[in-house]
Amino acid sequence: MSNRGVRNLFVFGSLFFFVIFVALTFDTMKRLDKRAPEITAEVDEGKKLWHKYDCIGCHTILGNGSYFAPDLTKVTVNKPEGYLEKFLVNPKKVKSTAAMPALGITPDEAKKLVAFLDWVSKVDTNGWPPKPVLATFRMPQTPGVTVYQKYGCSSCHMISGVGGTSGPDLTKVASRRPDPEWHKRHLREPSALVPDSAMPAYPQISDEELNQLVDYLLTLK
Amino acid sequence: MKYESQKIAQNFYTFAVLLFLVQVLVGIIAALQFIWPDFFPLKFNIIRDLHINALVVWLLMGLMGATYYVVPEESQSELWSIPLAKFQFWATVVAVTAVVLGYIWMGFDPQANKFVAGTLLLNEGREYIEAPRWADWLIALSVILFLINNFMTMYKSKRWTGIQGTLLGGLTFLALMYLPGMFYTKSMVKDQFWWWWVIHLWVEGAWEVIAGALLAFMLMKVTNAERHVLERWMYIEVGLVLFTGILGTGHHYYWIGTPKYWLWVGGIFSSLEPIPLLLMVWDAFRTTRKHRVVTNRLGLFYATSHAIFNFVGAGLWGVIHTLPQVNKWTHGTQITTAHGHLAFYGAYVLLVMSMIYITLPLIRGVNEFNTSRGYRSFWWMTISMIFIVLTLTGAGMVQTYMERLIGLDYVTVKATYNFWFWALRAIFGVGFLYGAWLFVIDFFKLGKEPVEVTSTATETVA
Repeated sequence: MSNRGVRNLFVFGSLFFFVIFVALTFDTMKRLDKRAPEITAEVDEGKKLWHKYDCIGCHTILGNGSYFAPDLTKVTVNKPEGYLEKFLVNPKKVKSTAAMPALGITPDEAKKLVAFLDWVSKVDTNGWPPKPVLATFRMPQTPGVTVYQKYGCSSCHMISGVGGTSGPDLTKVASRRPDPEWHKRHLREPSALVPDSAMPAYPQISDEELNQLVDYLLTLK
Repeated sequence: MKYESQKIAQNFYTFAVLLFLVQVLVGIIAALQFIWPDFFPLKFNIIRDLHINALVVWLLMGLMGATYYVVPEESQSELWSIPLAKFQFWATVVAVTAVVLGYIWMGFDPQANKFVAGTLLLNEGREYIEAPRWADWLIALSVILFLINNFMTMYKSKRWTGIQGTLLGGLTFLALMYLPGMFYTKSMVKDQFWWWWVIHLWVEGAWEVIAGALLAFMLMKVTNAERHVLERWMYIEVGLVLFTGILGTGHHYYWIGTPKYWLWVGGIFSSLEPIPLLLMVWDAFRTTRKHRVVTNRLGLFYATSHAIFNFVGAGLWGVIHTLPQVNKWTHGTQITTAHGHLAFYGAYVLLVMSMIYITLPLIRGVNEFNTSRGYRSFWWMTISMIFIVLTLTGAGMVQTYMERLIGLDYVTVKATYNFWFWALRAIFGVGFLYGAWLFVIDFFKLGKEPVEVTSTATETVA
């Protein structure tokens, strides 16, 4: 083939693939709105704040961005909203080891950011991020462990290396806090015992569940 | 150098190498922030914005400088307008400086990044294209002036060659693909969809086309290879780059809320993306072997290394995690960081450096120059980069296994299990800085020192 022929193959071949790409783009744009919830004014405000504070300079979202801080695609599923709202306003006050600086986010802005993040968590992402293979870690299946898992305690707390780091590590919680009555009051209303606590209250736990959970916590020495 | 106007390339190269040094310096700060997040007054996001924006800008400046060298030579005429090129250069320097100062201001006062007339004043908060909208327009204007100048040069000389046609085609594609990043969308999914048009179609489309054209030019310049053979292979290479790369964009559309068919489209086409990069490696070796007359051995060394590390970094380190079955677990981990570092180093950092080593001696009018610093710089940078990439790959594998498969917390994995990977990465970063420093010194001294007897740039290989 002459050079002119090869050149034409390059030019028209590339155009051919670009046209297919544009066609797929049109098709995708038509389908996107059905794959995500409606965007309210609050969600849009939250997205603008997301850009204003350059959140993507540290975090990833939908897996894209920086790799310095946790991915936020499903953060509202994994963390209580009240916790997130307090954390955003002053991260180090809520969790002393947090790497995130206080950016001057107001409580109102925090609410909007959480609304935006909640919208993102409901996007149909073809199953990403996948559930970890060993998501349900092996623990003795006592009634207390069942309650611990039912209320998602491990999304913020860690036991023996497994679980989140937003709240204190519970591996040896019974050594620090041996009093069952303290735990019962704390679970019902954390901020009554720990000032500035960002942990949500759990009034919905039944008395029986509360006893089982505290029995379990007291085994952690 | 045949034309006086080719000297303008040197302005662009100078700004490029200085920004390169800034990029590597802030890169080390960012690496240390993985260990001590609070040790520096500017937080990680600002440092990273500076790191990746300095990279993009210095590579663009380098490519522009290279183009200002290539186009007069290929057109066999002076550049259409030297004052316009100078204006474009200084306007870009001023705009870039203003953007950098804006980032630093925002680093000290996050609230300074206000909405003015619907757009953010200092930082758009979108990865890689953080520059605010007013700067977008200035950048677009600069690129348009640059394109006009080069097209007018070609148009007036009426001499169209394949190399400069492909080069300018790639640069026009680059300019057009900046536009999908210049509008706001309410949906984060659409935001990322258009954002990948810019990012992917730049680095895996337009920039690779430019790389293909410059590789052909460099091989022609340092060997006595025939133009028509080089241009034929160039068309095949850049053709395959776009045939695979355009639909290869689909590998970014697996998990961001886009339809499932992208898993097929992206998986198949992006798996083919390494093929043209391998062809470029073969092209470099075939040309060198066949044409034993080499006029600039250091330049050829850099050009061939660029082809090899383009294939390894962009090709191999990309293809390992491009299939959806794999990417489902590795997406958004340090595996991507490892790929990003080696790909940019191999595909574009070494490309601009090889263009500098091939054209700068000609601009400065020297046939021979000391090459020992150039080789030392290469080995310091390349060995350091290989280890940076290996530590990041290791960190990514640990992260994929512990966080994604086992379900440990992100912060735990980062702070505990990956600690030594961060420490080693920072140490190798210092090694890279030393190599970059040697290169910058060499850039300023090239052709201005007496040539040592043992080191010759011009040599005929028997």
